[in-house]
Amino acid sequence: MDLNIDEDDLNACVQCGLCLPHCPTFRVTGDETMSPRGRIKLMREVQDNDAPLTSEVLDAFSTCVQCRGCEPACPSGVPYGHMMESARETLADAGQMTPTWQRLAMKPLANPTLLNAGTRALSVAQKLKVVPERLGLSNEIPLTQSKLEATGSDVYLFTGCVMDTMQRSVHAAGLAVLTAAGFGVMPTGNAAPCCGALQSHAGLASETRTLAEKMMEGLEPNIPIIVDSAGCGAAMKDYGHLLGTAEAELFSERVFDMAEFLAMHMDRLPEPAAPLDLRVAVQDPCHLRHVQRVHEATRTMLAPYVRELVELDDEGLCCGAGGAYSIFEPELAGQIRDRKVASINRATPDVVASANPGCSMHLGAVGVPTKHPIELVHHAITGARGL
Amino acid sequence: MAGSKLSNLTKRRQRAESSGEPFVDALRAALSHNRVKWDGASRSLHSHDASVFDGGNSGPVVYPETTAEVQAVVRLANQHGRNVVPRGAGTGLAGGAIPLGVPVVVAVTKMNAILEVDEVNRVAWVEPGVINLDLTKQLKPLGYHFAPDPSSQQVCTIGGNVANNSGGPHCLAYGVTNAHVVAMEVVLPSGDTAMLGGLEAEPQGFDLRGAFVGSEGTLGIVTKVAVRLTKNRPAVRTLLMAFDDVRDAANTVSDVIAAGIVPAAMEVMDKQITAAVENYVGAGYPVDAAAVLLAEVDGLDSGVDIDADRIAKIGRSNKATDVRLAESEAQRQLLWKGRKTAFGAVAQIAPDYYLHDTVVPRSALADVLEQIYEIADRYDLLIMNVFHAGDGNLHPLIVFDGRQEGVLERVHAAGGEIITASLDAGGVLSGEHGIGVEKQKFMSRMFTNDDLDHQNRLRQAFDPHCRTNPGKVIPSGHSCADIQSLRSVPNTVWG
Ligand SMILES: Cc1cc2nc3c(=O)[nH]c(=O)nc-3n(C[C@H](O)[C@H](O)[C@H](O)COP(=O)(O)OP(=O)(O)OC[C@H]3O[C@@H](n4cnc5c(N)ncnc54)[C@H](O)[C@@H]3O)c2cc1C
Ligand code: SF4
Ligand code: SF4
Repeated sequence: MDLNIDEDDLNACVQCGLCLPHCPTFRVTGDETMSPRGRIKLMREVQDNDAPLTSEVLDAFSTCVQCRGCEPACPSGVPYGHMMESARETLADAGQMTPTWQRLAMKPLANPTLLNAGTRALSVAQKLKVVPERLGLSNEIPLTQSKLEATGSDVYLFTGCVMDTMQRSVHAAGLAVLTAAGFGVMPTGNAAPCCGALQSHAGLASETRTLAEKMMEGLEPNIPIIVDSAGCGAAMKDYGHLLGTAEAELFSERVFDMAEFLAMHMDRLPEPAAPLDLRVAVQDPCHLRHVQRVHEATRTMLAPYVRELVELDDEGLCCGAGGAYSIFEPELAGQIRDRKVASINRATPDVVASANPGCSMHLGAVGVPTKHPIELVHHAITGARGL
Repeated sequence: MAGSKLSNLTKRRQRAESSGEPFVDALRAALSHNRVKWDGASRSLHSHDASVFDGGNSGPVVYPETTAEVQAVVRLANQHGRNVVPRGAGTGLAGGAIPLGVPVVVAVTKMNAILEVDEVNRVAWVEPGVINLDLTKQLKPLGYHFAPDPSSQQVCTIGGNVANNSGGPHCLAYGVTNAHVVAMEVVLPSGDTAMLGGLEAEPQGFDLRGAFVGSEGTLGIVTKVAVRLTKNRPAVRTLLMAFDDVRDAANTVSDVIAAGIVPAAMEVMDKQITAAVENYVGAGYPVDAAAVLLAEVDGLDSGVDIDADRIAKIGRSNKATDVRLAESEAQRQLLWKGRKTAFGAVAQIAPDYYLHDTVVPRSALADVLEQIYEIADRYDLLIMNVFHAGDGNLHPLIVFDGRQEGVLERVHAAGGEIITASLDAGGVLSGEHGIGVEKQKFMSRMFTNDDLDHQNRLRQAFDPHCRTNPGKVIPSGHSCADIQSLRSVPNTVWG
């Protein structure tokens, strides 16, 4: 069956295996079918040799977290992420993957009104303690949200869907810090409801394209777009590839991760009122480190504002959150998280800085104290007490 | 949505009940359902390692977690008359882990605990599935490392290193795996365990440990290893030298050794490979040089500066066009990352490669290299060279696109000539990747019939029924296995 994967991409894999230890699912299972090398070989067998799509092959594909930890590890530059996206798109279209209930679950993300209603329901449910444990939600979702006010029009602050509703305090911190650095900020709000990252992971390509087009229409040209969720930023930086137009290419070029943008403007950032007296471990979200590859900026941005930065010793291995992965593959996601938690414990931090809401929730669900890096900067600048 | 209460993983486990194969059911009863894979996809993926060889679909693939489970698997294989192939990370380059005769594949990846670090005896007891680099990282806070550092060290296992007696860039000063394995527990082909070697300086009896290291999985399965801990050196200097001629680089290497310097590592890469590597790591490798020499010295602060200076001088006297010292640990790491990912990086040039691994006397390096480039021209193939220059271990890399008609024949013919040229120059068949199925046919060029028969007798003393990794290392005619008859199943047939 043709999975619509580029033949040259498939052939770029020489089966050397150097990516194996960088793959979270291989790390916890030791199983070749759950490794990048194995998955690529299976893609090849299915696409080139017409091998049948058995349940084991589908499992091999659906257990991939799409963290793309295998990409920077690969010396021959195999573009694994795009290959897996093509495979999932083809299989979802053929009805082999991503069942209807998962598709339905994603519908509200693209629709602010529905999402708000859903999140409010979830928040009430959380208060009533009726949310099933496997959803792994950690931070309690506040019932009411204060509105983010624009402070000018130099940059956009992308507020997105999940993130906006659940972690508005992060946006508020970002908005305040950007403003303090002298940038007038416009929150995107309903003009850009959803980046399409989760849809794209699930193989729902036409939905993703529609969302991308909607966002490009909704936002003014030429204004930098600052994103504080690593997953959203990665998806938006990929619009050029997704839509294949020069316009989308240009759009992607003006997308910046919050820390990436601020690290370029450190001279404009205010001095800390007092550096936070904290030992901070940086947890690099995969989509910041392996996809956007701008994770060093988080350190540059944080360094002046905290007492101590520590690195985890697992070279950016995924934490298992993976968008909706932790909901669809809870067992594997849990095992992968156990490794991450062990690594965090070895680093003995006071708090873990993570620039992705998915990771924060996944880690927070087992009691790891996480903060978004921009929140730490904000606290240090304002001298606010009590983290 | 009633079914959604079960996790996907649980559903997967329940999917398969009886396999319809008594051997598989017995294995599942002994281990557990999900640690015995029998589906076509798994069996197909285990048809190969990192080499160009393919053994066809394997038999069941098992993931034992304890020595007792390995024993159970071996005993069941005996009862059911099935062959056994041990497997680590599957990065072997000689086809050592490919399945011949539809064997049960014993993947030791789940046996990956570091059991004990014994600083008094300077050893660590580890399970065979521990990844080489993981071990070194764990030892770092204590000031030690595991010295053999194959370029695949971020993924290959200690068990694989032992089986292949693997080497690496830094084995020039420290010696290959054999020098770093003190003792080991093995599961013999009978299913019994044995402890080979020991912590005392002169273990009693024959050195069976020595026989086992490098036996490529043909004598049994390693289940525990006591590896030597090597002290980290306080200071390191890494030199990068560029040359307009590969010959000058080779001569520099010979002169450094002749001057009595013992560098920790000396590695050479030619122009094509340097370009591919630089494209991946961006370490600042000079891409227009005909050859690049990476030389490293370690030891005490004062000593390393003197040695680095002397090496730089020798380089310049051999017409080095550029001599640089790595300025920081980060840059040094980046240079090594480039060297160590060289094989993978070639896929930027063509999708397939065939890597050779011969050793020639250092004095013959330049001549053999010249012959290799000549062979490449004659067969109209692209051959790149990257090698452990310090010990004369050549790694000519034939880069090709297997989809081209007739190219494989040319690749194999050129490979044969390279091996012949190396042997004619007084070299040996394999530096570190092993014989596997790759170099069997050249064994009789290295060894007499008597030698080979004796090797096979040693093997049969361990494995009288020839069940453990049959068809490897020892060539047809001398092998206990009837290699031709080892059945193989084409690997795209699954379902
Ligand atoms: C990019 C790349 C670079 C490489 N660089 C080097 C290098 O610099 N130096 C070098 O020496 N090699 C190198 N290799 C080859 C390979 O990595 C080594 O031979 C390595 O030691 C194999 O380890 P593995 O765990 O992958 O073993 P596998 O490939 O899984 O197995 C190798 C052999 O060991 C046997 N075996 C595995 N585990 C056990 C066990 N527990 N008990 C008994 N037998 C066992 C197998 O049956 C097989 O015969 C390289 C390979 C690649 C892909
Ligand atoms: S994806 Fe890259 S690193 Fe992984 S096996 Fe293929 S070539 Fe090697
Ligand atoms: S994307 Fe992540 S989970 Fe998927 S194969 Fe690559 S490393 Fe493994």
